[in-house]
Parts: sequence; structure tokens; C-alpha cells
Amino acid sequence: MEPESPFIPYLARLQSVTDLTPDTKLFNLELNDPAMRDNFDYSPGQFAFLSAFGVGEAPFCLASVSYRKAGLEFAVRRVGTVTSALHELEPGATVGVRGPFGNHFPLEDYKGRNIIIIGGGIGMAPLRPVINTIIDHRDDYGDLLIINGARTPQDLVFAPEFDIWAASPRSRVELTVDRGDEAWTGRVALVPDVVKELKPSPENAITITCGPPIMIHFVLEALRMLGFSDHQIVTTLEGKMKCGLGKCARCNVGEYYICKDGPVFTFEQISRFIEQF
Amino acid sequence: MTFVMSKEDLRSWLGQLMEERTLIAPTSTDGLILFQQIARVEEVVLDFDNTVLPPKGCFFPATETLFTVQREDGRINLIPSVVARETVLFGLRPCDANGIALLDKPFLAEPSDTLYQQHRDKTILVGLSCNKVSPECFCTSVGGAPNDSSHLDILLTKIEEGCIIQAITERGKALLPLKQAPQTEAQPPSPPCPEVVPVAGALEVIRQVFGDTYWSRLADRCIHCNLCAYVCPTCYCFDVRDYEDGGRIERVRTWESCQSPGFTRIAGGYDPRSSGGARLRQRFYHKLLYFAEQFGAISCVGCGRCVKFCPVNIDIREVVRDIQSLGVKGGA
Ligand SMILES: Cc1cc2nc3c(=O)[nH]c(=O)nc-3n(C[C@H](O)[C@H](O)[C@H](O)COP(=O)(O)OP(=O)(O)OC[C@H]3O[C@@H](n4cnc5c(N)ncnc54)[C@H](O)[C@@H]3O)c2cc1C
Repeated sequence: MEPESPFIPYLARLQSVTDLTPDTKLFNLELNDPAMRDNFDYSPGQFAFLSAFGVGEAPFCLASVSYRKAGLEFAVRRVGTVTSALHELEPGATVGVRGPFGNHFPLEDYKGRNIIIIGGGIGMAPLRPVINTIIDHRDDYGDLLIINGARTPQDLVFAPEFDIWAASPRSRVELTVDRGDEAWTGRVALVPDVVKELKPSPENAITITCGPPIMIHFVLEALRMLGFSDHQIVTTLEGKMKCGLGKCARCNVGEYYICKDGPVFTFEQISRFIEQF
Repeated sequence: MTFVMSKEDLRSWLGQLMEERTLIAPTSTDGLILFQQIARVEEVVLDFDNTVLPPKGCFFPATETLFTVQREDGRINLIPSVVARETVLFGLRPCDANGIALLDKPFLAEPSDTLYQQHRDKTILVGLSCNKVSPECFCTSVGGAPNDSSHLDILLTKIEEGCIIQAITERGKALLPLKQAPQTEAQPPSPPCPEVVPVAGALEVIRQVFGDTYWSRLADRCIHCNLCAYVCPTCYCFDVRDYEDGGRIERVRTWESCQSPGFTRIAGGYDPRSSGGARLRQRFYHKLLYFAEQFGAISCVGCGRCVKFCPVNIDIREVVRDIQSLGVKGGA
């Protein structure tokens, strides 16, 4: 008997598919093998590859929390070949799951701190399990400020959950869009400008931010202006990757592989990379 | 264990090996020396500088099915590929054996790439030392030697009467014919000395040269044909895709190259390494710096294939010299 290849995915059943935005769906999966279901533990920030057999596989953040044991969830935005094939699937379909891969947000180290979450678009996917872990263990953490932006109100990925997040003690949810619509009465502003407007204090704080590269760039600038140090600002890097094992060399940047040394890095680490990503 | 094998004995030994195993050896096809599966012993070529392509495809094929998807009564089964047959890889140069040892580092690092591992376990390496050097060789500058036996099971050295045979490993010893000529006093010819490239000097300053405009100037003439990666014994970037043909689905791994445009492009179109200069720099930095930091050895064996085949004469030996001189200038 040869050892199992790390390229063979676990088989899983698609339990439900929920439309989150016009181009993003939430997939809830259950691994076919009951023993695997119990052993598949993961932490916020980690990711897995999803396979649409016959089309291919691509990496996605685990958008659920492991300890709730309510299935593996992924928020998938349709952008290309694999993501379109996944969007075609109906509940009951079989997909492949390979993972979990990568490091995670070191939430244990953030206990007692104020947490600022800044997410743009599909960048909320890795932040959702962070938020849920904090609200499930509310006393372990200080104040929670969530700043979430999207192109339009319809593109706010986890809209149905905002009320739950905001109802948690010492928590605030601040939303913003690039372009409003008739129903929208909230902010119309870019995420970095909202950061400047709200001026969160760097005192005893950690900021976790994910989103498009351009948003990250200006959020970083705004946070530095407010006095945040780079070691207080954490993000996930996205890199093209094909294996998740540090082998295909696609996501290599300097001495690191985003898939196994990341995807979570502080800006202090990123600024020391020989190559800027 | 060292002895001399006559040309006739060598032929009959190879014939014997072919009976139970796949024999892969250098052959001449339309004047190109290539590793191919041997059907008749006469096809084996022993007189050549080096093969056009390295033997890396024996372990990491240009295209290889990782698993096949079977659908049965609505259920899906994934059938992993298995390497069944024992293989003898015959006639590889010491630099290429070193290349295989370098491929081992990423592929066998935990979690081990089991398919690669099977190819390695099932293949015996019979090397052929170099009696002459090609103009583009520089193995001695990167820790190799024309008669280096380190990563081989058996090393052959051609002499007038036939071959001096050295069994390097127990596995190699077991492959040799039982009836052997007595141990030999014959000395292999002293190895030729390839050109010296200042690798150590360049490595001392390579970090300082990262931001230099040198890389974009060098890339001005690069046409991103990926040939350097294709002929390289140590390049191992790969892509993974699904192929569906008549209902049969396979997940396939193929060679990729960091020189391809779009190699690092992510969803949304952002590409952190969109310029040719950044991509070309990645090739040299990965080989000379990042791989070395990760695995303790640079990933170049000095075979010179990229030098020989680059259509625009980008020469890694010159690049190494340029890194050194730019670093010295920058540091002064
Ligand atoms: C660690 C990690 C976590 C991730 N988490 C998530 C997540 O939670 N949710 C999520 O939705 N995504 C996530 N992603 C991104 C996701 O992996 C990609 O969206 C996915 O790989 C796209 O695959 P695809 O086959 O659908 O797209 P592809 O077909 O590969 O296309 C990808 C992009 O490249 C462009 N493109 C493709 N070919 C060309 C070309 N020839 N010329 C120009 N442009 C081209 C496409 O327009 C598209 O924007 C994550 C990525 C990483 C690395």
C-alpha cells in the first residue's frame, strides 16, 4: 500500500448553496468520511483547495469556525474557470477538499486586545471566522470594531450577519460602499477614508485587514498615520498557488511560500520581504 | 568495488537489465541526444557531450496524471497514479544526478510527493563521468565534478578497453553482473576542468543587487520562451489542471515556468510580478538565494543547458559575474 498522495482531495457533499451577492455564493460542505469530519480541525485564516472535478481546483479561505462543527463553509466569488464551475453546482453534488493549509491569525495572542477588522469585498471571507471566534469568546477580547466596505450595497458579502455581530457586547459594525443605491442610507466612502474618519486608537489594538491590494495599500497608509506600528497590522496575502504544500513554487516570494509560511503575515514581516508583493 | 567491463560485456549487461526493467538511456534521434526508453541495446549512445534535456522527466514528467476520477452509479472514486515498473536510468552525467538530488529537496520535503517518491524508489541511477567539457559547463563552480559519484548508484568512466565500473551504493552493487572481471588497477583519466564562475562572491552581495535596474535591462532581450526552465535539471515549478476526455477525468500536473506572463497573476487581474525584469530576477534569485536559504544548496548544477539553448544569449555565468561586480560597486 503506497502512502496517500497529498494531491488527492477528500470527497465532500455540498449541503447548501446560498447567494451572498450577485457574484458570490456561500458553500456549506460535509466531508463524506465521518472520521475525517471529526479530524478536520482548522483555525481562522487557514484555507483549503476546492475541486470541481473535470474543471480543476482553487484555494479558498475557510469561512466557518472549526469548533462549531456545522460543516465547512467557503464564500466563493465567481471570477474564472473553477469558480464558475463551483457556482454551477447544486446541493448534493460531490466536490473535493484538500487542506487545511497555511498558518492562521494568532488569536490566542490577541486576547485582551481591542480588535479592528477592516475588510473589503470578498476579503471578508477569512475575517468572518475571526469575528465569530471573538463573539463566541467575547470576554477574552477588548472592543471589536468592524469596518466593511464593498463596491455597492448588494456586494456586502455577509450582510445577513451584520446584526448578529453588532449585537455582541462592545462591538460596532461600520459599513461603507463605493456607490450607493436608492435604498442605501449609509456611508458612501472608500474604506481607507472611513478608517481616517473613525480614527481607531492604536493603544492595545490589533488590526486585521483583508481586501483588494489597492485597498490594503491605502488602509496601511491610514493606519500608520494614526500611529499603528506595522507589527499591529495583520493581513492575508493572496498568491497564485497550485499545491498548498510549498512545492509548486508559484507563491514563492523571497524565502517564503505564501501557502505554508502564510497566508497570514504582519506588515512588519511583509516589509522585510526582499520582494514587495 | 571497481572493475573494468569490456564494451561487449557492457552491451550484454544492458541487454540483461532490459529483460526485467525499463531501460532509459541516451539515444540519438535526428541528431538530438535524448533520454529514451531503449528497445534494442544498439540504440544506446555513449559518445555525447550531454543530452538536450536533463533526465528530470523520469521523476517529474512534463505531463503526469496525479489521479483519475471514476464515476460509478453516481459515486465518485479517485484513483491515484502508481509507478509499477523498476527502471534503470543509464548514462546520466554527474551534474544531472546532482540535479535529481536537488529536486528531491522540495518534492520529498514533508508532506512527501508520493508519486515523485515512487519514481525515485523504483529507479536506479547509472552515471557516466565526463571525459571532456563542453564550452558552457561549470559544474565545479557549484560543488560538482565531472566524475562526481555522490548521487549515483553506479558510476561508469569510459576508457580505451571499455568502462571502469564503480559500484557506489549497495543497490548499485546488486545490479551488476555476478561474473565480473577482477578488481582493477586501471585509473580513470583525470577529469577535465570546466570554467570557473564566481558563485560564492556573487552570493555574498546578491541581496544588495535586488533593486538594481540591471534586471529590467537584462529582461529587455528576454522573449519569455521558457526554454531555460524547460532544459533545466533543477527547475520544478508546476501547474495542476483537470483534463476531461470522453468522460474520463484526470488531474494532471505539468511543468510551468516562473518566466511565463501570468505566472503570479491572481483573481481580479493583479500581478505582483508583472514586469519581465521581475520575472527574470525571480529565476536567478530563486536558484541562487531562496532555494539555498530553504534547502542549503543553490539550485544550479552547472550543466550549462540554459546557456547553450537561450535564443537571446542570457548566460547565467555572466549574470553571476554581473551580480558580483554590481554588488562590489554598490557596496563601495
Ligand atoms: C490563500 C487564498 C485564499 C483565497 N480565498 C478566497 C475566498 O475565500 N473566496 C474567493 O472567492 N476567492 C479566494 N481566493 C481567490 C481564489 O483562489 C481565486 O479566485 C481562484 O483561484 C480563481 O480561480 P478560477 O479558476 O475561477 O479563475 P481563473 O480562470 O484562474 O482566473 C483568475 C483571474 O485571472 C484572470 N485571468 C485568467 N486568465 C487570464 C488571461 N489569460 N488574461 C488576463 N486575465 C486572466 C481572470 O479574469 C480572473 O480574474 C483565495 C486565494 C488564495 C491564494
